Formats: sequence, structure tokens, C-alpha cells
Amino acid sequence: MRIKQLWSLIALLLLVSLVLAACGGGTTTSQPAANEPAANTAVEPAAPAAEVTIRWRTRPDNQEEANVYQNISNQLDAQLEGIKLVYEPGGSETASYQDVLKTELASGTAPDVFWIPGTDVADFATRGLIYDLRPLANATPGYSDDAFYPGPMLHLTFNPATGKSGEVLWGLPRDVSTFALYLNLDLIEEAGAEDPRELEAAGEWDWDAFMEVAKAVSALGGEFKGYGGSAWWGPYGVWINAAGGSFFNADRTACALNTPEALEGLAFAQMLYTQSGVAVPYGEDPEPPFRAGKVGMFQNGRWATPGIRTVNFNWDVVGLPTGPNGEPGNWLFWGAYVVNANTPNPEQAWKLVQALTTAETQGKVAALGANIPSRVSQEALDAFLTFTPPANNQAFLNGLAQDPTAEGPLWAGSWPQFVTVMDAAISSLLTGQTTLDNFAATVCDEANKAFNR
Amino acid sequence: MQLTTNRARFGLPGTLALHLRLVAGWHILLSVVGATAVAYLWLANGGMVLWLKGISTAVLLMLTIASVLAVPALLRRQHRGRTLSLLVNYLGFVFALIALLHYAGVFIGIDALANTFGRGVLFFSVILAGYLVHGVADRFRDYPQTFRRLQRTGNWVMLAGLVAFLLAVGLIPGLLAFLARLGEPRNALLFGAVLLFGFVLWLMWRHEMASLLGEKSRDSEMLNGYLFLSPNLLGFLLFFAGPLLLSLYVSFTDSDAFGRQNWIGLQNYGEIFNLSVAPLQSPTQLAGEVLDVRVYDELTRFTLFGRSYVLGAQDKLFWIALRNTVMFVLTAVPLSVVPALLLAAVLNSQVPGMKVFRTIYFLPSIAAVVGVALIWRWLYNSTVGWINYFIASIVTLINQLAGAEVLTDPQIGWLSDTKVALFAVVIIAAWQWMGFNTVLYLAGLQNIPKSLYEAATVDGANSLTQFFRITIPLLAPTTFFVVSTTTIQAMQIFDQVYVLTNPPGGPGTSTTTIVLYLYTQGFRNFRQGYASSIAWVLFLLIFGLTIFQFQRQRSAAAE
Repeated sequence: MRIKQLWSLIALLLLVSLVLAACGGGTTTSQPAANEPAANTAVEPAAPAAEVTIRWRTRPDNQEEANVYQNISNQLDAQLEGIKLVYEPGGSETASYQDVLKTELASGTAPDVFWIPGTDVADFATRGLIYDLRPLANATPGYSDDAFYPGPMLHLTFNPATGKSGEVLWGLPRDVSTFALYLNLDLIEEAGAEDPRELEAAGEWDWDAFMEVAKAVSALGGEFKGYGGSAWWGPYGVWINAAGGSFFNADRTACALNTPEALEGLAFAQMLYTQSGVAVPYGEDPEPPFRAGKVGMFQNGRWATPGIRTVNFNWDVVGLPTGPNGEPGNWLFWGAYVVNANTPNPEQAWKLVQALTTAETQGKVAALGANIPSRVSQEALDAFLTFTPPANNQAFLNGLAQDPTAEGPLWAGSWPQFVTVMDAAISSLLTGQTTLDNFAATVCDEANKAFNR
Repeated sequence: MQLTTNRARFGLPGTLALHLRLVAGWHILLSVVGATAVAYLWLANGGMVLWLKGISTAVLLMLTIASVLAVPALLRRQHRGRTLSLLVNYLGFVFALIALLHYAGVFIGIDALANTFGRGVLFFSVILAGYLVHGVADRFRDYPQTFRRLQRTGNWVMLAGLVAFLLAVGLIPGLLAFLARLGEPRNALLFGAVLLFGFVLWLMWRHEMASLLGEKSRDSEMLNGYLFLSPNLLGFLLFFAGPLLLSLYVSFTDSDAFGRQNWIGLQNYGEIFNLSVAPLQSPTQLAGEVLDVRVYDELTRFTLFGRSYVLGAQDKLFWIALRNTVMFVLTAVPLSVVPALLLAAVLNSQVPGMKVFRTIYFLPSIAAVVGVALIWRWLYNSTVGWINYFIASIVTLINQLAGAEVLTDPQIGWLSDTKVALFAVVIIAAWQWMGFNTVLYLAGLQNIPKSLYEAATVDGANSLTQFFRITIPLLAPTTFFVVSTTTIQAMQIFDQVYVLTNPPGGPGTSTTTIVLYLYTQGFRNFRQGYASSIAWVLFLLIFGLTIFQFQRQRSAAAE
């Protein structure tokens, strides 16, 4: 009996030990409660005596990208004195990166530094979830907002209290990207269509030429389609932009989806998806059919390159076709590293944000070919151009030079609410459930409610 | 020997009386501390939100009152005092321990333990080896010496393996870190509280104390019962009932989950149910001309007595989501229940290999929803998916056999056609749920006495008659359970839609369901308060539907 009790005691002790062993894995960073006021404008923390742990996270699109960030974290860990870095690869977009992050922010367990897409900056900033880094930036020798592309910086330095840019600093852009059309060269040749790259070089790559190529590929019959674009605001936004339209009015305080320009762009998209039948149906993921060799032109950003590299046909990229406005209507996609407003170590976090956005670090990320450096640096761009395929890497950089519309948050309203209404309405339009007239008559009545909140 | 002496000394009535007075003093102290804490909560200008303040006050007051009541009862040596004391000290011990583990970072550490766990996995083989040695001992029961030696060796090997495992996963740094954190004032205070509550708990639990306070067998049974129940009860209160009530409170606020939480009364519910009907001069008149478009969006149009009307809703998407959810329930429930019944009837037969088929049909219900949905997404791809490929092959074959194009390949846009997308989700859900429902029906079928079928056969009833006159009526309780649980599951459909459609709920709003919509509101649009109110509306719907089904079942049983 006594032996049995002894064994029970040993088992209990071991169980307790197992729980206590868990303490060794924790970090020394103590997180304050989520509802504690954010130290948003003042730089308060005292210089820590010992090494502090900074947890950071970004959204990788694949394991290779996660490995690159892990290596960067290891290297920066050795470089940054007094800072121990812990890299936490976030889930992919489909794994709800942002939703997980928001939940962690609410519960006070979010990392010190994290990446968010450009459209989320306003929501995070106005709710006091991210740190205003301006005082720290001003105290940093050599720091300049001008080192980064102006489009993202316009939003990253926007002060919602005064409505002016340049006064605050919500973070620094991790990278930028533009859209291009990934081409199945074998399929286009088989269809007897002209090579879009040659048309672009000749200055003839416009919507008409694009439609000709798309029709030629679709004419191959069966499941072959000329064009494929994913079902989110980026791809259809291109047609609106290229026609001279926009989602919002000039000062981004109201919906502009019912302007003649926006409707002209949407009419073209509608023709692509419903009338001509040259596109992979709206809502279907176009990447699998493109990789299966069934789609001639696949619209996507640089982030799709690692996946496309595995296809077994000849491929390259070309810029987007020019629209009625004389421009291709491209986007400048970006996301930013921001600092958790509740971090106990903002100075160290700021150091990390800077280190993650140096030309050297961005060159390493660009080497993967997944995105374009956000720093206006020839060194970083040269590094980007060397990583082929695609042979025509320049197409992505041309997109940057062709006055793209910067992806941006909605300071005067709720972007998530706006995009919910817009996505649903445009999806109805592009799947033939509603007419352009009906769309024009109702969309802004509904979408403008996003500005009332 | 020393242990026995101490036990004897602790058991002396005089010592017990002293312990009793100490415990009474301890409860006076706890009462003062509890009352002070409540006063501090409300008088100090802390940043605690109202709901948390309310819950904390309720818990503290309950423990304070229990402590106050325990004092005179203990001094009068009434067993009621012991019960109250055990309640207060047990809860105090549990809460102090959880708080200590939380502030010492153990819970976060357990998450991190997952990363280091792999380092110790090898040592599991040592534990397994010890277990095998221990097991082999059974073969030597006729040789007591060898038997005991093998058992002992097995035990020690297992112990060594476990210790090695703990060392490998970081026991030493873990213990050092824990001890270091105990040095922090808050943690030290909590550790002291754990020890004190634990000690008093031990004092009061002892048999000698129970006897002194006149414990009766029913008291003992009650305490033991509640003790066994307590892990589940506390877990239920903390992790289910607590959040449930909290979400009810949140539904009356404009909470964004990040600190803002203003009481707005029924405003969220008002937004959900704010509808407006306006007559139209012509069926094609724009809704914006008759509805206040700053508030309402057009939901639908209808004609009544020759006149057209437009129905507007402040939150159009809620009603669309509700419609989609109802459509989903109306199709997914029959499609996962009726085939399950038929399948169970087939699988109930005594044919060789039937167990394999039972397993095969059950597999989808235990497969991970996300993985299954991802596979179906590929199958559904309208261009390169297997389903459309199969349909196209059949169409081609028929056309070839006919020698003419009698059929056209429909090229179904499973996930891109608004008319089909919801049905695509129904197919997956029905396929997944059918297996579990089949098992339930199988259990029900096996409870039907064979003699009934034999009697029916003698009376000349054929198989079909037996099925409709015996099987289905006697399966009514099973059918009630299957339909109720499947309906509840269907009303809460989320995972399949979220993974399958892109963007979730698309194309358009054709697959937006209630739970998906409330998730979008809560986690994408930062409207936790509004999302909570939608959750409560859904709860009431499910509750009402279940009550209705219960009453139908009772009526049927009474007949």
C-alpha cells in the first residue's frame, strides 16, 4: 500500500514537473493587459538592463518564405545588441493571419512587431493597437520617410486627428508588389495569338489586344480559357483604375463605384466574365487551371512566382494592358511592419523594424522572388531583377513606374465593411446576377454606410 | 514512527479545537479581505470594465458571505461550518493556483513546450521498454522472485525514462524559471495564498475534524460528490456558462474587443430587426426613391394584391445569411438523415465484410473538416476539377453512343455559380454527417426486437411493409435525436463554407451563413458587440426549433 502511495506521489511530482518544465519555454517578455492604455504618443520605457526578447511575425505565403524570414531573424538576432529575437511565422492568408492577430491583440498575447496589410493600417491605428513610431524615428540619425515609396508612406504617416500626412509613423513597409499577367506561352502560340510581350514592346498592349489574345486561347475550346483572375478587390480594381475610375472619391470619404469611369471598367470586366466567356468563372480559383496549362493569361502579383515556377510549360510575364485612361491601372500592393502599442520595449521593436527594412534585408527577401523591396534602392531592385524566371522581371518594376494606385486604408470609414459590400455587389455583377444599371443604382447607397461608422 | 506520533498529536481534541479556532480566525480575515476588495473595486478609479467588475464583485461577495457564515458555525462545532469552509478554501486554492500558474507564465510555457517536446520523444521508447519488462513479469508468476524483480526493474526503467524525458524537454531551466518568477511579489503572494488555502483545506478535510464537527454519512457523500463534480463544474462555469453570459452582456454594447465597450442597450438587436416596407409605383421603381437609403438597403420585392412592395433592411446581409442558413438546413438535414437511415438498414444486414463498409461510411465524419473542404475545393474546380471531368466524360460517352450531340456538357460552376454554390456546400456537409447519423441509426436498429419482424413475417407483411410499419415507428426516438442534432449542426454551418468559398460566403452572398456572417462582423469588422447579438438571435432560433421538435416528439409519443 505504502509502495503504491509512493508511486502515486512520484507520478504526481512528475506531472507537476512536466507543467513546471513548461516555464522554460516561455519568453521573458511580459505582456500587459490588452485593455491597458496604449502608450501611443510618448516614449516612456526605461532602458532595459538585460537582454529583452522581441517577438515578431509576418505572413509568409509558403514554407520557403518562412525559412527566409527565420534566417533573417537569426542573423539580426546576432546583430542587434541587447535584443533576443523570436520569429513566429504567421499563418497564410487562407489561415486567417489577420483574424488570429486581432484575437491575440484583444487577449494581450500578440507579438511586439508584426506585419499587417496596407488596408488594415487605419483600423489598427485608430483603435490604438499600433505604436506611433514618429518620436523614435525623429530621434534616429539617418532615418528618412523618403527612403521608401511615397504611396505607402502617405498612409503610414497619416495622422487621423489632423488629416495630414507626415506627422506620425505607424510602421515601415515590408515590401511592395504590382500585378502582372503570367503567360502560358505554349498555349498562346498554339492558339495562334500574338505574343503579348511583343505587343507591349510595340506599345500596342491595350484592352483590345488583350481581348484578342484571350479570345484566341478560349477558341481552343473545352476547358481552355484566355484569362483568369482571383475573386477579390485587386483584380477587378485594375479594370476600374485603368478606365480612370476609383473605389473612392478623391479624398476617400465616399464611394465612387458608380461613376462613369468606374462603370466603364466594370463593364469591361463584366464582358470578360459573362458575355465573352473568355475568363475562368468569377469565384473559381484560376491558379490550378493555369498551372494545369488550361489558361492563357493569369493575373497575379509577384507573390505567385514561386508557385508558378513549378509548371511544366513555357511561361513568362507581361505588364497589364493599357485601359481607356492610357494607364494599365495597376495597384501598388504593400504591407507594413508595425509595433504593438502594448509592447513593453518599443525602442527595441523600432530597431527591429528598421533592421527588417534595410536594403540588405530586403535584398535577401527579394532573392526569393516573392516580392519587390519597399525601399527606393537601386541595390535592392538590381537584386530583385537577377532572380529569374520569369525572364521579364522588369514587368513588375514597370508596374511601379506606371503610376500605380497605392493600396490604402480607409481613414474616414471602415474598409472591412466597405469591401464586404463592394465584393458582394461586384461578384453579383461578374457572375451575371445583376445588371450594370442595377449595380450603379444601388452600390454606393450601400457602400457609403461604411463611412458612417 | 515519527509520522504516527504527529498524526496522533494532530488528532487530539485539544489540538483540533485550536485548529478550529485558527480556521475561524482565518475566515474572519478572509471576510475582511473580501469586503475590502469589493470596496476597492468600486471606490478605486481602476480601469476594470463593468462586466468584469460585476463578476468579480459577485464572486468576492459570495466567498465573503460564506466566510462570515462559516465563523459562528465553526465555533459552535456545526458541520455546516466545515462545508462552508471547505467551499471557500477549495475555491480559493483553485483560483490562487490558476492565477499563480498564469502569472508565472506556465500556460504560455505549455504552448512553448510543444516546441521542445520533440527532444524528449526518444525517451518514450525507454518508458515503453520499461512497460514491456513490467508486462513480461506476468509470465513468471510461478517464480515469485523473478516476477518481483522484473516488475521492479520495469518500474525503475519507466521512471528513468520519464525523468530523462523531463530533463530533455527542459525540466531544469523550467524549474529555475519558475522559482525565479516566484520571487516576484505578486507571484510570491499567490504562492503563499496557495499554501494557506491548501493547508486550511487539509485541516478541514481530515477525518478527525469531520468527526469533531459531527459529519454524517450524507454530508460525506455530498462533499465527495461535489468534489468529484468540481473539475467539470468549474470548467463549465469558467469556460462555457461564463463566456455565454459575457457574450449576452457584450451584445448590449458596441464592443470592438480592444477596450471600447459602451452600453448601447438594444441598439444591436434593433439594427438586426430594423425592416421597412414601402409600396412601389411600378415593379421596376428604384428602391432608393421610396426607402431611406441612408438606413435601409433593398432586401427583396414582392407583390401583394396586385401592388408591388419593396422590403428594406438596415442589415441586409443578416437576412440574406438567415435565408441561406434556412435553405441549407432544409436541404442538408434531409440529405444527411434519409440516406443515413437507408444506409443503416443495408449495413444492419449480416453480410460478410459489412463491418468494413460501416467503417468506410463512418470515415468522413471523423475526417478534419478543413482538409476535407480543401480536397472538395479541388474536386469542384469547374475547369480542372474531377467532378466536371467525370460529367464531361459521361456526356461525351453518351454522345458517342448516340452518334449525335444529344447532351451538352453543363460545365457546372460549383463554386462560382450563385445558384449552385450553396448546394455544393450541402453535398459536402451531407456526405460528412451521413456517416455519424448512420451509426446512430444502426444502434437504433439493433434495439428493435427481432421477434417483431418474425411476427410480421408470419402475418404476411413484406419487407417494405415491415420497414414502414415497424422500423420507422420504432426508430422515432433515434430519428428525433438525429434530426435535432443535425439541425443544430446545420444551423451553425461555418467551416465548410469558410474554407470552400473564396471570398468566404461567395460568390456574391450566395453561401453567407449566419455563423460566417457573425464571424465576419466580429473578427473582420471589429464589431464584437454586434456579432454577439447575432449569436444570441441564432441561439434563440435554434432553441425555439429544438423546443418545437421536442413538442412534436412528445405529441407523437403520446399518440
